[in-house]
Amino acid sequence: MIEAAGLTKRYGSVVAVDDLSFTIRPGVVTGFLGPNGAGKTTTMRLILGLDKPSAGTVTVGGKPYVQLRSPMREVGALLDASAVHGGRSARSHLLCMAQTNGIPGSRVDEVLGIVGLTDVAAKRTKTFSLGMSQRLGIAAALLGDPRALMFDEPVNGLDPEGIRWIRTLVRSLAAEGRTVLVSSHLMSEMENTADHLIVIGRGRLIADCGISEFIAASQHQAVLVRTQQPGALRAAIASAGGTTSAATDAAGAAGEAAIEVRGLTEGQVADLAFAHGIRLHHLSTSNVSLEQAFMELTADSVEYRANPPGRPTAFNGTEA
Amino acid sequence: MAAVATGGALGGVLAVPGGRAGLAGAIRSEFTKIRSVRSTYVSIGVMVLAGITWAVVFCAGTAAHWAHMSAQTRGGIDPTQNSVIGLALLGQLGIVVLGALTITSEYSTGMIRTSLTVLPRRGLVYGSKALVLGAVGLAASLPASFLCFFIGQRFLASTHAAATLSQPGVLRAVIGAALLVTLTGLFGLGLGAVLRNTAGAITAAYGFLFLIPELARALPTPWFDDALRWLPGGWFVNQITYTNPESNMPHMFFPAGELLVFAGYTAALLLAGAVTLYRRDA
Repeated sequence: MIEAAGLTKRYGSVVAVDDLSFTIRPGVVTGFLGPNGAGKTTTMRLILGLDKPSAGTVTVGGKPYVQLRSPMREVGALLDASAVHGGRSARSHLLCMAQTNGIPGSRVDEVLGIVGLTDVAAKRTKTFSLGMSQRLGIAAALLGDPRALMFDEPVNGLDPEGIRWIRTLVRSLAAEGRTVLVSSHLMSEMENTADHLIVIGRGRLIADCGISEFIAASQHQAVLVRTQQPGALRAAIASAGGTTSAATDAAGAAGEAAIEVRGLTEGQVADLAFAHGIRLHHLSTSNVSLEQAFMELTADSVEYRANPPGRPTAFNGTEA
Repeated sequence: MAAVATGGALGGVLAVPGGRAGLAGAIRSEFTKIRSVRSTYVSIGVMVLAGITWAVVFCAGTAAHWAHMSAQTRGGIDPTQNSVIGLALLGQLGIVVLGALTITSEYSTGMIRTSLTVLPRRGLVYGSKALVLGAVGLAASLPASFLCFFIGQRFLASTHAAATLSQPGVLRAVIGAALLVTLTGLFGLGLGAVLRNTAGAITAAYGFLFLIPELARALPTPWFDDALRWLPGGWFVNQITYTNPESNMPHMFFPAGELLVFAGYTAALLLAGAVTLYRRDA
C-alpha cells in the first residue's frame, strides 16, 4: 500500500508534481501513465525518499520510506536500469545491494536465475545490452522479496520475448498479493497488464480509476465515414444533433473526404445518409483504444474523474 | 536471450531470510563496492609503485653520491624521510582520486540512487563509505610505508647512515606518512560528496594540496611564516616525515600537530559532504 496526500514537488518555479493524492493497493497492477515530463519519475523518486517533497506526504505501508527499517523487504524499485557502476560485475552489484539489508548471497544467485542472467553474473555490466541491463534492474528490485514493486518503464529496450516475460512477471507479482506500480508511456502495454490506472499530466492527477472505466468514460466512440458529398453529410449530421470532424488518419481515394462523426451510432449515420440520398464509400465504428483515450485526456490536460462503484477514489488532495 | 521461468520461481511472499538494514550490512556493502571495481586497484597500485620508485631513486642516488659529499651535506640527509616522503607526496595524488571516486562514481553512474534506495538512512551510507575507505587506505598505505622504508634503507646500507626503526622519530615518521595518505583519501571523499563530480573533486583537491601552498609564497615573509603551519601541501609532508633535527621546520607544529591540522581540514570537508548529502536531493 502506497499512499500520497497532497504530494507536491517544485524545482525553482517549475512544478513537477502538483498536489497529487492517490492510493496504490496491493493485489492489483496499477498502471502509472503520463506523457514524457508529466512527473512520473519524480513521483517515484518522492515515494523512495530520493527527493524531498515541497509539500504533502507519501507513505509506504503507513510510514515515510526513509523511516523503513527493512526498506528492501518493503519496496523493490527499478527506476533507471542504466544507473549501475559499469565496472562492477552483475553479481557484485546485486551483492552490495543485498548486504545493506542483511540479505544473504544465496538470494543474489536466486534472482540472477529468475531473470536469466546466471551465465553472465561475473561479467562487468558495461558489456550488457539494454535488455540485459533491464533484467539486472528487475533482479535488483526482486532481491528483498518486497511487498511492493515499482517499475519505471520496465519494457524499455526489451525484445518481444522480454516484453511478454515482464507482463507475466508483473501479473504474477500482483497475483501473489503484492502492490505493483508500473509506469509506461506504451498505452497498449498498460491495456494488457494493468488493472487500475493512475494518469497524470503536467504533474496533476487526471484520472484514478479501473482500466475499463477509463475507456468507457472517455466518451470517444466515433463513427468513421468516407463520402464524395461531405458538405451534404455534415449538414445532415448537424441537423440530427451529431458533430463532425475531419478524420486525420483515414485517407481515402481521390475525391473522398474522411469524416469522424460523434454523438450518433453507425446505424443512425447510415439511415441519415439514405434519407438524404448521400452515397457512402465507407462506414465503421472506430474502437477507442486506451492510447487514444489517453492522448485525448493528456492533450488538453482536462481534469477528469471516474469513480468506479464501491471503490473510493482520492483526488487532488481535496478528498483524502 | 534465453527464455526465463517466472511466477512461482519467486518463492512466495517474504520467503527471504534476514532483511534488516544497519551499520554492519552497510559496511559489508561498501567493502563489496570498493573491492569490485578496477579503479581501486589502479589508484592503490599507482600509490605504492610511485612510493617505492621514489624510495629507490632517492636512496640509491644518495648512496651513489655519498663518497663525494661533505660531512655537512651528509649530516643534513634524513634517510627515513628520503625513503617515505615519496609515498606521502605521490601517494596523496593516487589516494585522493580513490577517495573522490568512492562517491563521485556513484553520482556519475546513477548508482547513488540505488544506494540511497536500498539504504535510505543517508548517514549510514556515507559513514560506512568513510570507514571502509579509511580502513582500505590504511591497510594499503601502512605496509607500503614500511616497505618503502626498508627498501630505501637497503639502498643506503653502503653509506652506513641507514636508519633503523628503533631510532628516535623513525617509527613515528613511517606511520605518519601512512596516516597522512589515509587522511588524504578521506579528504577526497569529502570533496567528492560536496561537488558530486569526479573531475571537479580531483581538481579542487590538487589545487588545495599543491597550488595553495605555492601561491602562499607570494605573501610577505613574516605572514608566510605565520601561515606556514596551517598550510597544506609539501610542508605538511616534510614536517610529518622528518627524523633528522636539521630538517625540522621551525615555523611549524610538531609532526602530530601538523597531522592534526590536516585531520581538521579533512573533518571539515567530510562534514560539509554529509550536510550536502542530507540536504540536497539525490
